[in-house]
Amino acid sequence: MKRSVLAMLLLLAACKSPFERSTAKLAPTEATDLDPAADVVRVALSAARLVDGAPYIYAYNGVNPGPTIRANVGDTLIVELTNDLDDPTTIHWHGVAVPFAMDGVTWMRDPVMPGETFTYRFVLPVAGTFFYHPHFDTKSQVEGGLYGALVVRDPAEPTPDVDIVLVVDAVDELLAGGHARGHGKRTTRWRVNGVEDAELSVLGGSTVRARIVNASNAGFLALRWPNIRHIASDQGLLPALETPDRLLLGPGDRADVELLVGRDDFTIVTEPYSLNGGEKWGDAEPLVRVTVDTPAAAPAPLAWPFPGGVVTANPGHVDIVYAFAGSDRTRQWMINGERFPNVTIESIPLGEVAIVDVLNLSPTEHPFHIHGLRFEVLDVNGAAPARRTIEDTINLKIRDRVRLRVEADNPGDWMTHCHILPHADDGMMTVLRVE
Amino acid sequence: MTNVARTGPLVVDRRVTSLRTSLLGALVLASCSGDPIVPPPRDGGVVETPRDGGTRDAGEEDAGTIRDAGLRDGGALDELVVLVTLDGAPIEGATIKQGGADREWQTDADGRAIVDLDENAYGSLGIVASHPDARMRAADPVETTGFVQIDLERFDRSDNEAYPYGDPGEPTRRDSTAQCAHCHTTINEDWFASPHRTAAKNGRVHDAYAGAAEAFDSEASCLANGGRWREGLEPGTGQPAFRCYIGDGALEAVNPSCTEAPCEQTATNHADCADCHAPAIPGPLGGRDLLEATDFAYEYGVSCDTCHRVEQVDLAQPAGVAGRLRFLRPSEEGSIALGAGGFLPLTFGPSKDSPNPRMGGVPREHFREATLCAGCHEHETAPMRSGDTIDPARWPSGALPIQSTYSEWSDGPMSPSMPCQECHMPPAAERMNGADLQNLSDAVIGITGGWRRAPGEVREHAWYGPRQPSSRMLELAAAVFVAPRVNGGVLEADVTVKNVGAGHAIPTGEPMRTIVLAVEARCGDTPLPAIGGDAVPAFGGALATKDASGDWFDWPGAQIGDVVRVVRRVGGFHDYEGPLSFGDGTRTPAQRGLPIEDVAGSATITAVSGTSVTFDRTLPSGDVAYLVRGAAVPVEGAPAAMLAGAPGFAFARVLVDRDGRRSPHFVAVDVTSDNRLMPQASFTTTHRFTTSCADPVVHARLAYRSYPHSLARARGWSNPDQMMVEVRR
Repeated sequence: MKRSVLAMLLLLAACKSPFERSTAKLAPTEATDLDPAADVVRVALSAARLVDGAPYIYAYNGVNPGPTIRANVGDTLIVELTNDLDDPTTIHWHGVAVPFAMDGVTWMRDPVMPGETFTYRFVLPVAGTFFYHPHFDTKSQVEGGLYGALVVRDPAEPTPDVDIVLVVDAVDELLAGGHARGHGKRTTRWRVNGVEDAELSVLGGSTVRARIVNASNAGFLALRWPNIRHIASDQGLLPALETPDRLLLGPGDRADVELLVGRDDFTIVTEPYSLNGGEKWGDAEPLVRVTVDTPAAAPAPLAWPFPGGVVTANPGHVDIVYAFAGSDRTRQWMINGERFPNVTIESIPLGEVAIVDVLNLSPTEHPFHIHGLRFEVLDVNGAAPARRTIEDTINLKIRDRVRLRVEADNPGDWMTHCHILPHADDGMMTVLRVE
Repeated sequence: MTNVARTGPLVVDRRVTSLRTSLLGALVLASCSGDPIVPPPRDGGVVETPRDGGTRDAGEEDAGTIRDAGLRDGGALDELVVLVTLDGAPIEGATIKQGGADREWQTDADGRAIVDLDENAYGSLGIVASHPDARMRAADPVETTGFVQIDLERFDRSDNEAYPYGDPGEPTRRDSTAQCAHCHTTINEDWFASPHRTAAKNGRVHDAYAGAAEAFDSEASCLANGGRWREGLEPGTGQPAFRCYIGDGALEAVNPSCTEAPCEQTATNHADCADCHAPAIPGPLGGRDLLEATDFAYEYGVSCDTCHRVEQVDLAQPAGVAGRLRFLRPSEEGSIALGAGGFLPLTFGPSKDSPNPRMGGVPREHFREATLCAGCHEHETAPMRSGDTIDPARWPSGALPIQSTYSEWSDGPMSPSMPCQECHMPPAAERMNGADLQNLSDAVIGITGGWRRAPGEVREHAWYGPRQPSSRMLELAAAVFVAPRVNGGVLEADVTVKNVGAGHAIPTGEPMRTIVLAVEARCGDTPLPAIGGDAVPAFGGALATKDASGDWFDWPGAQIGDVVRVVRRVGGFHDYEGPLSFGDGTRTPAQRGLPIEDVAGSATITAVSGTSVTFDRTLPSGDVAYLVRGAAVPVEGAPAAMLAGAPGFAFARVLVDRDGRRSPHFVAVDVTSDNRLMPQASFTTTHRFTTSCADPVVHARLAYRSYPHSLARARGWSNPDQMMVEVRR
């Protein structure tokens, strides 16, 4: 590098104080609770077009990501959505078992029309990290910037020094010529909480609970950093601490991790990952540089009340099969040979348990997501998982056959789909009815 | 990777970038093998200018943004005007690609296109022009000022019988640049492990062709199994050799002058078998003797240089290389160094940016489409044996459907969304290029070695199917749903088999394939006796079958421990929906030919005297009795269980000969039933057992087998059951 360029970069770096890229700057805007009651959280959200928000064109309350909503498990959440867009919209509470009327889908329900307000109201039944986004013209509205995190705390869980949401999005996924890009094949531009080259400054000796949400249309995160401590998944704490080498998060997937910040800076990177079957060539891309402000000894891990538990035995039979098929060449995606909305509705009686097999026959991976319900993974390609896994989203690799146990404890017509949003919008979606 | 530097404003330079006679062939050879530089080819190609390596700057303009014409910051060229000529005249509709980039452009009526360069394409910059009538060519625009001309030449469209098919090489034999495996290492490994590689040397194929049994390889074993030990011709060499002749053979069927095998030396009609099984037999196309397949044609069956010879697919023609698959073998004089037997290389494939003259690449979209597979995996035929006729009322076209995989797919929901390649040739994302760029230096990533492709573009050449169990294709194909209920000491279970995963019927392909369903019930470890419900049809396998007119106490060849299963014909036929004419409403249930058979019971042979047998219990009354031996349920990897008459069912296309026996296609005169399951179709059977407990468990097993039991037994073929799905409820 030429000396003059180097000097300029150094000068630029010097202009930014550590605090300008500190936790406070990186953390998304927090939603304001408008209700004084202790067990009610009331939030007002306005979905509107941004005047100058590139690469985003929409936002909730003018910020990307949308305000982080925080509540406790058991609280009633009230969200007053005002649609200031030119198009209809909704909010889907991804991962939360809400009443069907609150699910934000347009199957059997109307969207919120421009200029209208709709009030979502429901009780938060499970602690964890959730995700809210539109379910109308989903790929465009999410790509445009309409998404945010919903954090549901369990008071029984320890409080870390820093509890931060990292909403990760691949931008420009749907640009011209970009069906390939829309599939995450060349996803290279990631933003964390709306920031490129994000930096998180933390006091040495701090404990951090980082709640990671993959808000991208189609980009897969293959996260790596030293000493990953995975504590929670889609539906709250894992049965036990896990320390994987890498965390894979497909679109719509979430993971909570514990960072024990000591003396050394480190970087959370995402490694190249293709939904066509594994890693692609290329270099890992830095997502968040974690810098230590005042180095100190690393803290002791927090005492997370991991619930333990064993994997429920595979009963050896199946009630429902969903076969994912299609092609990124033809851009036609289907489940059981059908493209939404022309689908066969499978039903489970309320209160029953259904065993559901999900097959991936297509040449791409698919994050399977179910609304309103959650599932336990019983079997992946004939083998029980290493731990009990309760999820609402699970990634299927090519030729995977995954067996799920679904408790039909919430009545409704639940959308069941691939969370690669172009796939869902192009037909890879169906309805699982609980009645 | 550097940007293309410019020194002035964007002015189209009318000077034509010289596409000089290429040194590229020599460069390729040198880069791959260290072979000495050889003289350049007579024609084609470009001079690849050595380029600076390096990488692009991070944070450059988004690759997906359509930029204004002109320069990027820093003076880099971001747009080119490309002129394409064909035989000297500007050509409309030629395709332009930047090597390694996603987008493509078509030339206008003046033969021109404005190409917006993708700075994220990895590898050296190269602009490739392609046209259906010409070999691709590339230009490296480094020396240009925004304009480049690429001159294409029409290839000779006459097939060349003198062309020697190329050596694909093997995973352990790929030292020569003349072998495809030398550069296409991993694809060669895929193919080598695939059934395509063994299509011409498959012993079952040769047994069926000659009416022989390879497994009985001595006179003693031949005679012991009822064969005739005769001198015929040896597969693979075509030389005289003693073989065991037994049962029907295609050559005997189609050569009336030969009334008894061996017919190899006298046959004049070769049943077109080689048109698909041994397409690399040199010389004329079509009607060749399978025994002419020697050397590469025998060892390598359907190899690189056969599929990539397919210039066109004409579905109206008969299957194979003499009809549906229009082969075009290079005919223009070329350099020996380029490895096409002295002819100018000509290779058809899916890519539009493979300009290496070593390949002579021409893009063809059918490599991404089901039609290519239909070239062989769709086959119908009129009766082949002299004197055989078929019922025109049942088969108005005068032909029987033999293999109809393409039609099944076309009639199903995965057409056109998901052509064959999407399942059977899945992405090989880690390779990035068919020539294994991961094994090559960056210096050859470009025109020479090919460009890095988007993940998913390069496909495994494994053609996954039942013969590759690790692919899990069988277990993905089907689901079994069991709905049991207990009432008054009787367990009744509905068992539904559904084709959930295959884009074609299951089973498909060769009509000898069968899927069998076996249903058991137990209280704890105690098996429950079946007292009724659907039974596995005769094609589920038996040693012998007798109807009610036969003597059920007389079974030649029976042994102690054998079982006789009895079924009742309760009247009527299964009203199933099979593929094609068996599911389009044109045939009544009776015409679909699957009588409803109920389990009546069974008895075990406890004593044998001559051909007379004694049973352990009273043989139930019924309409059909099956003599069976061995396992009562399918077991993974074990010889196909004889399931006829057992609680369960089976799915197959049943071809029969003039004597009504299930038969290979070359002696078939009818398809009596075809209850194979079309995509997303299901069929439910019901089974009844007496139960001694309140919570019996139904155990359903679904298995696939390659050959009819009787045929495999007669020929000594290994015929294991392959488990697809197992359910307990």
